[in-house]
Amino acid sequence: MSVRTPKKTREFGPGFFGALASSPFGLLMLFGFVAPLLCVVWFGFMPPKTFELLQVPTLQNYEVIFNQTYFKSILWSLGLAAVTVAILLVICYPLAFALAKIFKGGASFVTYAIATSLFVSENIRLFGWVIGFMKNGVVGGTLAKLLGVQVDSLLYNVPVIILGMVYVYLPFMLFPLTLGVKMVPDQVREAAFDLGANRWQVFKKIDLPLSMPGVLIGSLLVFVLSVGAISEAKILGGQKVVTIASDIESEFTYAQNWPLGSALSTLFIALTAIVVFFALGRFDLEKLLGKKSNE
Amino acid sequence: MDESAAPILEVASVTKRFGKFTAVNDVSFKIRDGEFFTLVGPSGSGKTTLLRILVGMEKPTTGELRLRGEIINDLPPNRRPTCMVFQSLALFPHMTVGKNVEFPLTIRGASESDRRTRAWELLKLLHLDPNRYYDKNVSQCSGGERQRVALARALAYDPEILFFDEPLSALDARLRKMLQKELKDIQRSTKKTFCYVTHSLEEAMVMSDRVAILRAGVIEQIGMPDEIYASPKNAFVAEFMGEVNLLDITALGGASATWDTGRKTVPLALPELPVPLEAGAKRKLLIRPESLRFLAAGEHAGNTVPVKILNEFSLGSRIQYHVEVCPGCTLTVERLREERTAAAAGVLGWELADSQVLES
Repeated sequence: MSVRTPKKTREFGPGFFGALASSPFGLLMLFGFVAPLLCVVWFGFMPPKTFELLQVPTLQNYEVIFNQTYFKSILWSLGLAAVTVAILLVICYPLAFALAKIFKGGASFVTYAIATSLFVSENIRLFGWVIGFMKNGVVGGTLAKLLGVQVDSLLYNVPVIILGMVYVYLPFMLFPLTLGVKMVPDQVREAAFDLGANRWQVFKKIDLPLSMPGVLIGSLLVFVLSVGAISEAKILGGQKVVTIASDIESEFTYAQNWPLGSALSTLFIALTAIVVFFALGRFDLEKLLGKKSNE
Repeated sequence: MDESAAPILEVASVTKRFGKFTAVNDVSFKIRDGEFFTLVGPSGSGKTTLLRILVGMEKPTTGELRLRGEIINDLPPNRRPTCMVFQSLALFPHMTVGKNVEFPLTIRGASESDRRTRAWELLKLLHLDPNRYYDKNVSQCSGGERQRVALARALAYDPEILFFDEPLSALDARLRKMLQKELKDIQRSTKKTFCYVTHSLEEAMVMSDRVAILRAGVIEQIGMPDEIYASPKNAFVAEFMGEVNLLDITALGGASATWDTGRKTVPLALPELPVPLEAGAKRKLLIRPESLRFLAAGEHAGNTVPVKILNEFSLGSRIQYHVEVCPGCTLTVERLREERTAAAAGVLGWELADSQVLES
């Protein structure tokens, strides 16, 4: 008996309890993420306009995609997302620096103010912009009344879509970036300055590389969210630009062509994954954090 | 150190205020070319603020800094020919040892081969084998190695004055002592001016040519370590120098005084003074632990006082005693181990010449 007892405790070691504790989440991921994803991938190989999963696989849907102009919507989505990320990086870095290093007590107020905007549904906020920018809306009407300038509708163009996306996804860039900037020790920045570097050199050689984890996480979050964005283009862009997400939506709804929608989704998920993994591979997080040697 | 050496940095009536708080109060001193100068003071004495002013990270509220006669008050740190080794060392965690050392050269636009040659030289000078360390990440280096990397990086900047913000304080005693000696050697061999800031007078004494002692934003005394040790200007400096006995005394006129132990007053004889104290003047009497000795029967000394031994601590060849004159009033005595037998008699004495009268 005395030999068995330690054996028993080893069976219920930390690994066992870890597995037990993570099993609810594991099950959720299995049924909520993995299973539907596999369904979508499989459905993409079913004959067009059918609703059966148990049929002979076919590549017809992919043929349709490559023979038609879906690539345009894909390019629009990727392009809009890339521009949004770029603009947000430029806007948010100084603000993140101020939040992390300068504002002190004021920082939490700004943080709450920005986080509060997330409490209101994205669509409601976008419709607010519509009221602002439509013909004789808040902006146009005010200008007409005060300056006598007649402004046509400011909606339904690409810049306003980008403006909407920048606005909606700002918190997702700002907060990771603020954490990233916080990771740069003040004395390290001072040391670089003391060793002769000017402000730009300090930024390029110290701030940027050391805050890169935040830059990367913020960029990835915004990219992944905005590449699948649908409301900005629809509400502010008024179908001027068709994103891939709205193509997929119409295949599943108006067109009732689930297999084609699934094939588009599969293709798009694969594309996004390639972009994301490429970015992650280029910037090794571990290396950036100094946990791995540069050999 | 040559007394007449030209000053490289002149600090003239520098004051720094943060709101109502005066961190540095009208401080003036000169650092001579090629010397090892140390600013020493307890925490809150304003030494770090003063250092930040000297390197340009803070601007003095009033006063002037002159580097070789030129006013440098408004010169930012990156345009000053001085640099600092930080307390945290502030190594660049995303760079290798080699890239850290090369940083100031990279900023100056030196060619890759020049940078590498110089970094190689400096790593050798600091006893870090370049073959092993050049490509090593700084996060993989030990505390002592990181110190050397920080020093190599600062030397690569080729500063006129190298400042140190007690970088050795985080190391264990043995390594700290070793690096103190090395630092002194490097200062001698490179002939650079070093300005070191520390809270440890012991550290200051080991390395420095001259020491300035700071209290509450004011320099109390400045001079060579031996000078300060031999004649501390006041009780604060004396106490800061290490374990000493400071007796509260009241002059009685002439060469006599009373020692107020808290419970009772003990009559004492004072050493000869250039100007005798007025009766009633309150002073401190400094007696070093090694100047106190136990008297055998029939022996005489300038002052004698009966004591009770409370504790003995072995310091190797010497023994430190804590003795009680009366409850609540203790003295520290340090004697050679051989003199132990005399302690039993319980009579303590010291020669008048071994005591000093100080302002409190």
